[in-house]
Amino acid sequence: MRIVDLLKPEAIVLGATASGKENAIDTLVALHEKVGTIEDAARFKEDILKREALGSTAIGEGIAIPHAKSEFVKAAGLSAMTVPGGVDYGAPDGKPSDILFMIAAPLDGDLHLEVLSRLMTLLMDDGLRASLKSAKSTEEFLGAIDRKESERFDEPKPEQKEGYRVLAVTACPTGIAHTYMAAEALEKAGKELGYALKAETNGSAGAKNVLTAEEIAACDGIIIAADKSVDMSRFDGKKVISVSVKEGIHNPKELIEKIRSGNAPVYHHTGEKQVEKTANDERLGRKVYKHLMNGVSHMLPFVVAGGIFIALAFLIDTALGVNPEEAGGAFGTVTPVAAWLKNIGGYAFNFMIPVLAGFIAMSIADRPGLLVGFVGGLLATNGATFADPGAAATVPSGFLGALLAGFAAGYLMLLLEKLCDKLPRSLEGIKPVLIYPLAGLGIVGVMMCAVNPVMGVINGAVNNGLTWLSDNNYGILLGALLAGMMAIDMGGPFNKAAYVFGTLMLTEAATMSNPNVAYTIMAAVMIGGMVPPIAIALSTTFAKSRWSEEERKNGVVNYIMGLSFITEGAIPYAASYPLVVIPSCIVGSAVAGALSTLFGCTLMAPHGGIFVFAVVGKWYLYLLALAVGSVISALMLTLLKKKVK
Amino acid sequence: MVSKTLTVKNAQGFHMRPATVFAGAMGKFDSQITLEVGQKKVDGKSVMNLIAACIKCGATVTVCCDGADEQAALDTAVELIESGFGE
Repeated sequence: MRIVDLLKPEAIVLGATASGKENAIDTLVALHEKVGTIEDAARFKEDILKREALGSTAIGEGIAIPHAKSEFVKAAGLSAMTVPGGVDYGAPDGKPSDILFMIAAPLDGDLHLEVLSRLMTLLMDDGLRASLKSAKSTEEFLGAIDRKESERFDEPKPEQKEGYRVLAVTACPTGIAHTYMAAEALEKAGKELGYALKAETNGSAGAKNVLTAEEIAACDGIIIAADKSVDMSRFDGKKVISVSVKEGIHNPKELIEKIRSGNAPVYHHTGEKQVEKTANDERLGRKVYKHLMNGVSHMLPFVVAGGIFIALAFLIDTALGVNPEEAGGAFGTVTPVAAWLKNIGGYAFNFMIPVLAGFIAMSIADRPGLLVGFVGGLLATNGATFADPGAAATVPSGFLGALLAGFAAGYLMLLLEKLCDKLPRSLEGIKPVLIYPLAGLGIVGVMMCAVNPVMGVINGAVNNGLTWLSDNNYGILLGALLAGMMAIDMGGPFNKAAYVFGTLMLTEAATMSNPNVAYTIMAAVMIGGMVPPIAIALSTTFAKSRWSEEERKNGVVNYIMGLSFITEGAIPYAASYPLVVIPSCIVGSAVAGALSTLFGCTLMAPHGGIFVFAVVGKWYLYLLALAVGSVISALMLTLLKKKVK
Repeated sequence: MVSKTLTVKNAQGFHMRPATVFAGAMGKFDSQITLEVGQKKVDGKSVMNLIAACIKCGATVTVCCDGADEQAALDTAVELIESGFGE
């Protein structure tokens, strides 16, 4: 049963006018009479009105479908009219009705319900309603319905009933274009040949339209059009042709005919299901990314708000005439307002890393993950160890440590949840309130206290290396190295080592024979921390195609962060795309650091970014070094990062 | 979320009048109302959706209500369906 079979062209009036509901009904009944679906127009109309008395058949969106099961109906049928001016049909949404269908159904059967359902499914489509309203001829009107009806109902139904005769799997190494082209070519050829064909695409987004075990059991054979390995174990004992993706695109009909003719060889699977692993790996990769983004998106507000508060603190201290050189480490907290802003901003910053780890773990292990992630993140920021659990003198593992904490904690909790499945059911209730938190806290505490000392060792080794470089006058190399380190982990052991080294030099400057050595080192350190956020801001501004809308919006704040020497602004981006962002930032920072040292730029303040440029020696060259480094980083970022789809 | 599975009793199923009555009644609640019929999930507040789902007499429907007034919504929905919409 199709709508177009029930609705004759003669039973349609377009662009009609109707003075009211009954007038519209009269028109529709008259149309039924004209095409001979009803025996007695007057009595059929009575049945229609009886139905209307129970409640209007207008259903909103300008549609009304008066209908009746009536003994005066000879054969089921439809009539239709469009009323551009609309007619008040008592619709629930109060709008006038401009598309009206009248269903005439015989007494027996559920036909009217099916017609109603079908009509409604079609009319839910805004596009169809619009084309019906604008139809100039009955052909156009019916054509629009027919097309929509084929689209909505025709394809899946016959195929599902018969099952697919031929199946296909398509895959290409990149999994972007050819996979889908081959699938489309095969499906199209199948349709043309009259054999239902289903194609599974193993693209970069994971396997789509996956073949089910029943479909495989029921089919005549399978076409594998792939340039990379696909899971074959499931096709054991079936007729299989394996060809390249190209073959699938260019000769789909031949392939299908070969399966149909029964000439394809029977496939016997040998060995393990090693192939499914690749498919699973892809899916795992996507999952990891999803978890990561859950952490990053929750962390962002803390970074942005905290960063701006801290930048304001520097600005206010500068505006109120604080001398950064004298203030030293206290710069940004000298005036009371600045101190307030810097502290509040700092509190927001303190949450940043725990929130990152916490929400990564929560995305993995659900609510039980939250505790372990948060605590793990906090342990990463304070660097607690077994020997020094109070974290009095420790090295934080920073955001890289937090990523480890979030993922390890999340997956450990998942494992724990699995293990706890074996516990008696009576313990079910105390699992989430006692067992998971207790065991989770223990695990994450042990893990992070074991990881943090490693960070300390790295830190110590790095410090020794830096001192050696400094002692042996490798100035430019040292500048590049320090600046690059600032960009590696943005708060972890490398960054910390570089920054502490720089500030340490400042405190020793007074006792040095040539204090400028210390000041050039501090300048290189700060420039290294300024480049990453600025580079990200530049890339999000000028290479819009590489970033999502949210990333672009947040990118703007990174100008402020970068200029204020708040490297943390780059963390959300570095956490999202570590392999792209971190190398780009390291290179740009290193270049900036090397240039700054080469130019002999000096800095006597340990913090403050652009707000302390007043005390930077050769500040114009410093600015140049910063610009060059940032542009290099931004270009690298833009080149390395894939376009956002 | 609360839910209940029941069988549609009135002879003609969710044809237009019951659908209108049902959607109208559900529209008064803040909760999200979803009807699960076989594989389909249908918005219980949309007349169009309900009719398009073609829920016939004898069909098994699961009504799911989610929101602040979910229990009241579910009670009303169950009463409507069990009473056969007064038919």
